[in-house]
Amino acid sequence: MKLLFQIFILFISFAANTAPFSIDYPMSFFVTSKPIGDGGNLGGLAGADAHCQLLATEVGYGHKTWAAYLSTQYRYAMPAINARDRIGEGPWFNFNGEMIARNLAHLHGDTLELARLGNNMTKQSVLTEKGQIVPGLNDFQENGHNDLDWDYVKNTPNSNRHEVLTGSQPDGTAYMSELDYTCNNWTSNKDPEDYGPMGAAENKPNVQIGFTDRNGGGNGSWNSSHGTRGCSQHSLVRTHGIGMFYCFAIN
Amino acid sequence: MTQIRHLTFIFFALFYLCAYSQNNQIPDSENLPSSLMTFFVTSEPIGNGGDLGGLDGADAHCQRLAANVGQGHKTWVAYLSTQTRPGQPAINARDRIGDGPWYHPKERILDYLDRRLSRPLIKSQIHGDTLLEAQTGSNMSKEFALNEFGQIINGIGDPLPTMHAVLTGTHTDGNAININEDRTCNNWTSNSEGHAQYGHTDRTGNGNTSWNSAGTTTGCSQADFESHGGAGLFYCFAIEH
Repeated sequence: MKLLFQIFILFISFAANTAPFSIDYPMSFFVTSKPIGDGGNLGGLAGADAHCQLLATEVGYGHKTWAAYLSTQYRYAMPAINARDRIGEGPWFNFNGEMIARNLAHLHGDTLELARLGNNMTKQSVLTEKGQIVPGLNDFQENGHNDLDWDYVKNTPNSNRHEVLTGSQPDGTAYMSELDYTCNNWTSNKDPEDYGPMGAAENKPNVQIGFTDRNGGGNGSWNSSHGTRGCSQHSLVRTHGIGMFYCFAIN
Repeated sequence: MTQIRHLTFIFFALFYLCAYSQNNQIPDSENLPSSLMTFFVTSEPIGNGGDLGGLDGADAHCQRLAANVGQGHKTWVAYLSTQTRPGQPAINARDRIGDGPWYHPKERILDYLDRRLSRPLIKSQIHGDTLLEAQTGSNMSKEFALNEFGQIINGIGDPLPTMHAVLTGTHTDGNAININEDRTCNNWTSNSEGHAQYGHTDRTGNGNTSWNSAGTTTGCSQADFESHGGAGLFYCFAIEH
């Protein structure tokens, strides 16, 4: 009986210790733990937002309004939409209650000072809605297996998948270009006819990506490092992404 | 006699087979240290807190550690600034290190796209000279900022002791910190009073991702550094290649 009581006290004290995290700083930022799965075709911004909302709801955060950090480009007289204009004002906190950025200026480094210092997006802080670190560069390699092959990667949860769709420039705005940086505004799962170099090119399906682990592309940008080989699910994997994206709570 | 001959033949056959299969293994993709090496983090501190013997002492430490791994023929300097003091103008870390680009000690021969994965540091990128460069960032990462043996410096999430806080005495742009208050342990001569500005090799901690100006220590003793997740390590750059 006494032992039971002690265990009870222990349990209560644990609960008391962990509670402040979730009460003071509820989650308002995460990386999707899974992709939609159809390459760059997310069903437009609406489809991506719904994916954020769905994943948030599954972990008890459905009462907030979630938006995907994605830009769309000017097409057919429809104005461009900037990812940074979609996500509220901040501050934003991850699963652990850690602040990843104070505000939009801090998140994007709007001034030289802010940009040089950087925000708090690191491999340890860019967590999924379940609190998982996203497997990054050199975390897990199996001899004789190709971690650029979707058929392998989809059954290997620890293989590198650090690329995150954004379709955005480093300052969080849309690309003002005829070239594709958004898989045709998140509706395309197409590939180029033959694989050239990665990145944007004329008539080439492409999407701009950032890194959850801030490691790769020669710059480690969280939101705008480089382009891809195409927009199919298989093509995203060919540079170490699986089509995940960032979600922010607006309110 | 023939039996012995047969045995020797079998022995040599086996020997060559072993050697052959070893040679045919996937080639080691890393040369340590790379002949391109022009950047590293010191594997060990000088050990006397912020007293490095001035810039000269720090440079000599870089040179000695580089020589230990066969890179002593290059001219090495510590990435450290000093502040303006009576009779001493400030010295900016970024002005001491040459023009680059700088490669780390681990030469990864080719990556999956047949490119050299260990891309170098570019001077304007590591200091964010333009807004776009500052926002996009550089190739400085935990896996780039290796010591002269090519080993990762223990950072957040790694086994203790954490050693990611690296002395710089420098502002994010690579210049000396232009204030009266100490940020250089009295121009790297104090192991007690004063403060040192430091960066993080793993670009993690203090709510920012700065490699060269993430925070300020509360003191200059070895223990002060350790309480900030550091050991008194610093960055070394080769001036000419």
